[in-house]
Amino acid sequence: MENRITKLFKRKNKDILSVYFTAGYPSLNDTVDIIDYLSKAGVDIIEVGFPFSDPLADGPVIQESSKKAIENGMTLKVLFEQLKDIRKITEVPLVLMGYHNVVLQYGEQEFAEICSQIGIDGAIIPDMPIEYYNDRVKKYFLKSNLSKIFLITPQTSDKRAELIDKQSNGFLYMVSSDSVTGANKSISDRTSYFKRINDLNLQNPRLTGFGIYNKETFDSACKYSSGAIIGSAFIKNLAENSLSFENVQKFIKSIKP
Amino acid sequence: MNIKICGLRESKNIKQIAALKPDFLGFIFYEKSKRVVKKLDKSILKYLPDSIKTVAVFVNQDLEEVTEIMNYYGFDYAQIHGNESPEYCKSLFLENIKIIKAFGIDESFDFYKLNEYKDFCEFFLFDTKDINYGGSGKTFNWEILNKYNIQKPFFLSGGIGLDNIDKVLKFKHPMLSGIDLNSKLETSYGYKSKEKTNKIIKIIHMKYIEPDNNGYYGEYGGAFIPEMLYPNVKELQDNYLEIINSENFVSEYASLLNDYAGRPTPLFYSESLSKKYSANIFIKREDLNHTGSHKLNNTLGQVLLAKKLNKKRVIAETGAGQHGVATATACALAEISCTIYMGEKDIKRQANNVDRMKLLGAEIVAADGGSKSLKDAINHAIREWINNPVDTYYLLGSIVGPHPYPDMVTRFQSVISREIKQQLKTKTGSEDPDYVIACIGGGSNAIGAFYHFINNEKTKLIAVEAGGKGVNSGKTAASITLGKKGIIHGSKTYLMQTEDGQIVEPHSVSAGLDYPGIGPAHAYLYDTNSIEVTSVVDKEALDAAFDFSKKEGIIPALESAHALAYLNKMKFKKNDVVVVNLSGRGEKDMEIYQEYLKDNNCKN
Repeated sequence: MENRITKLFKRKNKDILSVYFTAGYPSLNDTVDIIDYLSKAGVDIIEVGFPFSDPLADGPVIQESSKKAIENGMTLKVLFEQLKDIRKITEVPLVLMGYHNVVLQYGEQEFAEICSQIGIDGAIIPDMPIEYYNDRVKKYFLKSNLSKIFLITPQTSDKRAELIDKQSNGFLYMVSSDSVTGANKSISDRTSYFKRINDLNLQNPRLTGFGIYNKETFDSACKYSSGAIIGSAFIKNLAENSLSFENVQKFIKSIKP
Repeated sequence: MNIKICGLRESKNIKQIAALKPDFLGFIFYEKSKRVVKKLDKSILKYLPDSIKTVAVFVNQDLEEVTEIMNYYGFDYAQIHGNESPEYCKSLFLENIKIIKAFGIDESFDFYKLNEYKDFCEFFLFDTKDINYGGSGKTFNWEILNKYNIQKPFFLSGGIGLDNIDKVLKFKHPMLSGIDLNSKLETSYGYKSKEKTNKIIKIIHMKYIEPDNNGYYGEYGGAFIPEMLYPNVKELQDNYLEIINSENFVSEYASLLNDYAGRPTPLFYSESLSKKYSANIFIKREDLNHTGSHKLNNTLGQVLLAKKLNKKRVIAETGAGQHGVATATACALAEISCTIYMGEKDIKRQANNVDRMKLLGAEIVAADGGSKSLKDAINHAIREWINNPVDTYYLLGSIVGPHPYPDMVTRFQSVISREIKQQLKTKTGSEDPDYVIACIGGGSNAIGAFYHFINNEKTKLIAVEAGGKGVNSGKTAASITLGKKGIIHGSKTYLMQTEDGQIVEPHSVSAGLDYPGIGPAHAYLYDTNSIEVTSVVDKEALDAAFDFSKKEGIIPALESAHALAYLNKMKFKKNDVVVVNLSGRGEKDMEIYQEYLKDNNCKN
């Protein structure tokens, strides 16, 4: 299958910067502006988070932005409405990220179909296990040309990493350390894990996420993978500064001058 | 216990048997079998209920042929029933085909060689050794399987039918996870009798209320966890049954329950309630269990398991503080470090239990997210587990969470109904009551009180949810009554949620019932009409607590008072035998009781 994600990696396989933000935060209708600014600031992939009340894999920053977004009235329905003309604005690969229950209530098949209509390229649903995806959801995703992006972690065995790789398309989300999002555990002592996964010669490119928050951590993550994902640090930046292209660009430049 | 019906081929018969909801249906693609499928209608497989997994059976067939058939029909499993090599299985595994590898067993069978297969298979299937492949139709001496000690669940197969199912159900093995049925249910080759199949499925279900290999009770349960938790949860899934069924564990656990917790807890005949309701009302005194609730039954078991898994630290959530105290207690006894996560709101309303936990040496961490109650304490504990996956054991207190927690906690709490059975037998001459009533939040005391009566024709099981200020008031914790199917804390079940799938903050005056979901086993029991679910509101529970304290000299926990309150809404026949599970004692609720007393006195 080919979509904007697979095309991106064909063109470029290093120093890829993917940025996550929570849709509906800081304000309900900021979604399209944020995508526009990130895309103009030169980000390679944009991850649009749809909020969930109980985000188990997330630290305090994304818990808080999710809570605020729900209070602001964000739902999947609202999000899809906001994104319906997004492909008139940008061709940057777009990935939706959120929790399984929200997708389940929307309908797994319906979710895949509308993503394909809008031009979404992938989805990260951390609490949808690979076995469930294969049994129940894969058929819809394949039909919609939607990449399902799975996580691997320092505790993932070689055997399981290979299995996940075989079932993935797009890229693998390599969690940098044993932590929820937004943790600042040093990633330098993770070299043996990065090397171990690197040596498996997996077919999919890898992006490193969790605990990437500045140029130093970004550069270090890029040594052992095709790039990195920034989430909590960007949300914090949104919380501290008013939303404008200049501020977004300044943040992105601080990571990737 | 998984039930697999194998050797089907005709559309009409497939539909009839599928309606009986076995866990697996098998179709034989081995030319030489008398039950080989000729023209299998592909569309019929699509319309089978989601809970039924389909299996194609092959014997020494080309990999290409197997893959082609698997893909064409979309079967869930391939049962490999010849003398295929481990490499053969690996090739299929890498194609993401799930494998059941079958072996013919006799006295000389070398179980050691199964180690080479185990990484590529989901299950083994043990059949009688026979010169013909693809199912023998004869039984073998199952005791040989005592030599099998690999961590891979298996199906027992070969000549099992209504005539010997009792014997099968008496056979115990920690890895036995399914029963494979075929020829003994047939009226002709490949045609299964609806009546016989129905009868045997009922017999097996009556014996077990257990999830399948992936932790599903019907469509509920499972393990919906982020990859970060996979190794932690997998370690438990792979080891819990073997450890808790080991001789050593069983005897250690039993002596802890007897000598430390003070079990069995009494079954008390309440004269005043019996008179009031014109029935025979018995109270199961879990409030007399050490630490004052049923929670210790589970924590003693899980802390013992944590030790066997060489964990250095235990973390747990708590709502009312009863599970927290029970965890801190078991950890103190086992000399293992302990951290308890508790909602900020609950820390305030259950201050007495917070002090107890501290005294027992536990560290208390306030969960300040969301509604600041039980749900948020679980979120907090799970995140902590993600941050410390290697040496930390997460001790869940209810029958919620990802597989294997619901099953594990159920097993540890089932002691309650085991004792009730024995005690009733002595007191009334019959071990089965007409009713068992229990309150239900996540559902651990209820499953414990129900367990040995599930699917018993005589006993009605009644679960009382916390109605809060009223089921339709918006301030309630009646998760089954109001719930829709969804995923919470790693398992699929009924939960209170918005249309968009956001979990709704629950409300109950009792912190222990303040949970928006329900254990997946209860969701399944509810759907199959095996339990009745109802609710009482805060005020009814409070009134029942006061009434019970005055009449019986027992101050009940607010949670348990919900079960007592429901007596008021029931109509009994004169000789009905009713057991109410008094899950805990009420000292922790003194502040709420006093406030209520004050308010009521003012109003009067």
